[in-house]
Amino acid sequence: MLEAAAITRRFARTLALDRVDFCARPGEIHALIGENGAGKSTLINIFAGRLKADAGVVSLDGEPLAAGSAHLALKAGIVAVYQSPMLFERLSWEENLALGGFGAGVSRNDLAAAAQCAQPLAARLGFDLPPPGTPVERCSIGERVRLEILRALSFDPRVLILDEPTGVLAPAELGAFLELLRRLRGEGRIVILVTHKLAEAMAVADRVTVLRRGRVAAERLAANTDEAELARLMIGEITVPASTSAAPLAALGDRATPALTVEQVTLDCDGRRALDRLDFTLSMGEIVGLAGVDGNGQRELVELLAGRRAPTSGRVRVRAHGGAITVIPQDRDLDGLILDMPLWENLMLARPLRDRFTRRGWLQRSGAVAFCGELLERFRIRSAGAASTAASLSGGNRQRLAVARALAGAPQVLVAHDVCRGLDLRAMADVHRMLREFAAAGGAVLLISSDLDELLALSTRLLVICRGRVLALPADDCGSERIGLLAERIGLLMSGAAS
Amino acid sequence: MLEAFLASTIAMATPILLAALGELIVERSGVLNIGIEGAMLAGAFFGLTATWFSGSLALGLLASCAAAVAFNALLAVLAVNLAVNQVVAGTAIDILALGLTGVFYRRFFGLTGSAFTITPMRTIALGPLARIPLIGTALFDQSALVYLAFALVPSIAFVISHTRYGLELRAAGERPEAADALGLGVYRLRWQALMIAGVLSGLAGAFLTLTYTNTFIEGISAGRGYVALSVVIVGRWNAWGVAAASLLFGAAMALQFGLQAVGTAVPYQFFLALPYVLTIVVLAFMGGQADAPSALGSPYLRS
Amino acid sequence: MNARIAAAARPLAALVLAAAIISLVLIALGASPVAVAADLWQGAFGNWLATTDTLVKATPLVFTGLAIAIAFQGSLWNIGADGQLIIGAMAAGALGTALGGWPHPLAIIAMLTAGAAGGASWGGLAGWLRARREVNEVISTIMLNFVAAQVLSWAVHGPLMEPSHALPQSVVIAPSAQLAFYFEPSRLNLGMTVALLFTVVCHLGLFHSAAGFELRALGRNRRASAFFGIPIRRLTVLAMALSGALAGLGGAVQVSAITHRLFETMSPGWGYEAIAVALVARLNPLAIVPAAIVFGALDNGSQAMQRADAVSPVLVNVIQGMVIMILIAFDAMATTGMRTALFGLAGDARPSADAVAGAGDA
Repeated sequence: MLEAAAITRRFARTLALDRVDFCARPGEIHALIGENGAGKSTLINIFAGRLKADAGVVSLDGEPLAAGSAHLALKAGIVAVYQSPMLFERLSWEENLALGGFGAGVSRNDLAAAAQCAQPLAARLGFDLPPPGTPVERCSIGERVRLEILRALSFDPRVLILDEPTGVLAPAELGAFLELLRRLRGEGRIVILVTHKLAEAMAVADRVTVLRRGRVAAERLAANTDEAELARLMIGEITVPASTSAAPLAALGDRATPALTVEQVTLDCDGRRALDRLDFTLSMGEIVGLAGVDGNGQRELVELLAGRRAPTSGRVRVRAHGGAITVIPQDRDLDGLILDMPLWENLMLARPLRDRFTRRGWLQRSGAVAFCGELLERFRIRSAGAASTAASLSGGNRQRLAVARALAGAPQVLVAHDVCRGLDLRAMADVHRMLREFAAAGGAVLLISSDLDELLALSTRLLVICRGRVLALPADDCGSERIGLLAERIGLLMSGAAS
Repeated sequence: MLEAFLASTIAMATPILLAALGELIVERSGVLNIGIEGAMLAGAFFGLTATWFSGSLALGLLASCAAAVAFNALLAVLAVNLAVNQVVAGTAIDILALGLTGVFYRRFFGLTGSAFTITPMRTIALGPLARIPLIGTALFDQSALVYLAFALVPSIAFVISHTRYGLELRAAGERPEAADALGLGVYRLRWQALMIAGVLSGLAGAFLTLTYTNTFIEGISAGRGYVALSVVIVGRWNAWGVAAASLLFGAAMALQFGLQAVGTAVPYQFFLALPYVLTIVVLAFMGGQADAPSALGSPYLRS
Repeated sequence: MNARIAAAARPLAALVLAAAIISLVLIALGASPVAVAADLWQGAFGNWLATTDTLVKATPLVFTGLAIAIAFQGSLWNIGADGQLIIGAMAAGALGTALGGWPHPLAIIAMLTAGAAGGASWGGLAGWLRARREVNEVISTIMLNFVAAQVLSWAVHGPLMEPSHALPQSVVIAPSAQLAFYFEPSRLNLGMTVALLFTVVCHLGLFHSAAGFELRALGRNRRASAFFGIPIRRLTVLAMALSGALAGLGGAVQVSAITHRLFETMSPGWGYEAIAVALVARLNPLAIVPAAIVFGALDNGSQAMQRADAVSPVLVNVIQGMVIMILIAFDAMATTGMRTALFGLAGDARPSADAVAGAGDA
């Protein structure tokens, strides 16, 4: 039994966890849910020993755990699998597994032995192992997640913690994954599933703990609750329905003025075909959703549209005067913002804004600062002012800033890649509103995401990208009555099951 | 003639090879140690000083290693524990070493320092092997440090790619957060790498003052530490490549003496500059960072 | 705001701590720290002549300090300011001999231009190697230092050698190319003024121009800079060339004002000392001047120290190395974000634990 009593943890001025109690029993799948920012990741990092709690004790079967040591937590049998796979990409998969439980106590680096130990485990779980000697960087995202889980299981953990594991799995793989969790539960282990997807949590969990703003909002038996109640507990007073009613997926008809045309674009890079004869058009006023699991060419497409890459064949045409495509990158902290710089300078990163506030090579500082202030107010971005650093903003506010910056440049076409990943519901609602207003004013949006709910809620038209190919859905599938079937169809397309 | 050139090449290559092997281990663990030059210089000076005062070469070697290890420890505190910018820290070490050795040297030996010589280490001829015509003396009648250096090449190659320790080291250099999460202990691994490299840099420095040059000149390392950095890059971060590249640069340095002796119209400065120019040229064609350990040079702070 | 003051105070604290450690070293050498400090002060500021000489010694440090600051702001580790200074000095020294009939202002401008061009080519070469061939600029600039030293040696032993061939030095530059001293016998000259001018230019350029903004962005976040279309390769070459030009200017000023000819050694390591200067100034051009004066004072005072206490002037290298290490250590300890370890932006920086806590969590 994993017990946590009165766990408290601060980061600078923020109280991330406030006297949190938690309890998970053996042979149980325990879902830990909450908005982003609620403290879920912080809590499991404390369990796994990567962080130290400021106060409170975590104990396993009555034995208190040494704090702040991932190594000791591992020894005690607590293993965590994180959101982005923590594999060593340049090393081969056997080497990665050898660094797990398979290679322990062996001084010679015997890779074949490690692979052999992994085989039966993989077979039991229905995983296919990559060819011998393949470096992880050449494995697909799905394979990496599986390898990571294998490595975690190689430690024979008593507690397995999974942090948002399904984000990179195709909908078809989801079923097998949940089956795996049930099997682990059957073996008497404790499985802690951290997720913000209520449907998945309800599908598989025995107990649910809801975190809100660093406190335990509730603990329930899964059998005694439903998604609606969980959603209420997660958010608090404001009720947001668990499944958003989708915007009408009506076609625009003949008033469509093309804003962006992608004509037979193929892109080869790193020795493989990343994009394969893409051909689609974005019209003004449209929000076109591009659904797909990470790693199917979205990144390359975004780089192409941002002008960072040239297509191997085919072309991209922006059919509007000005011809501006603005991209909101997926990784806002690494690609989108410079955390050490003040907010107004972060705004200046965007070419259109920089041009606007540059005269003959000189920056118009006061103008830019004032403009930043206006933007912060208009988009309700909570900050310590235009001169404060981007690092001082919370994740949600950083994304609001990134979107505001993109819109402030008055583009014709906006490409948003995973624009709401990691945002709390309020920030997400804000961003969605900003995008809708932009489209209503005549802009065109390409919304690239793996979140079907978001895509269904926002898109006027849906495309699916899989293995570098873009597939459109036939028009008659877009009626709102058949959302459920539609989602399934999209899911299948995303996993490449149907053509 | 050829024999002398070959012997010279191997002798010149040895300090570079020793330092580069140490740096290889360090860089595989993820740290970029620009301070090799300083460590080598410290090793050279303090090794000579210890030998001069005690009369014992063994003590001198020990002192070399100790001095270089001390400087590497300083870098370890800065680069590993405090996660500062590794380039700046390494450069500071170089400046510090230059200053410290200079100050101590002048304080104790004055500006001429002509009395600061010792009986150098003798070469060890490997029996019948040394009598092979043409290459015998060049390859098999060298100082013990030379044999050590070249013997280390296959050993280090093996340890890095075929032992668990080597795997852990490489993991620390690829993705320290992941390595720590697995309980491998990145700080420990990097410290160990720096300590091993300290011993090797110390030996490299000792080679400069305790073997063929039996005295100390300020700045005697003359950029060999930086050449060692290039050797690691050109050698694509593996021990065999490092050995080959060291020989290449050793040859360039040996060329100085060879061609000067022959007497050409080319000014001697050209030969002095040759190894440095060669370094740049070779890096320009082979300097890609594609094979570098992924986390090389990135400050890493364990939370 | 508290954090800002703390950040500004760190260089001072670093200097104090360095002084304390140096005292221990001095005691180990058998010298008295108090006596050494007194002699240093006396040598640097004891009288009018000493003070002006401190300023004279600070001048090349301002130029090389600016060079380092510009490059470091772009995360371009230019350790080659020495070599760039030497090449600039050579260019000016060679040109200067031919400026006989020129009007003084033009001759000076020609000297400075030659210096800047020489330095720019040396720095730009390293920049190009980095941009186009991925060559680590730390190594290339250091290698170029050694190469520059040999080129200079060859020049003063060969083509530029003075006709009598008695000493390895070049012909004296024409009087019109020489910067006069303001008040003899003090050596104060226009060079410092030129340095101050370029300080202002660098500050304006770095913080008020679009190019300066792009450079600073590049230095802080390469990925984001690439994403927003900042021309990284071109910027790398230009920044390194500019950095080299500033160092080269320093070389030209030295030749024009102080040495009037080329010798085998033109720099006692200013390019390395400049790193300490630039870090103490926190890479801000305006702060380079006071930082350069501090280190210039140390350089100047160390001559007196040598005479009085028999401690080698090379001690200043120890001071430089120590100051750099203490400074970066302080910065790292004061902040918890690893990206801010060098720049020391405290207070608002995210704690590194955030990176562990995962995206989106507070």
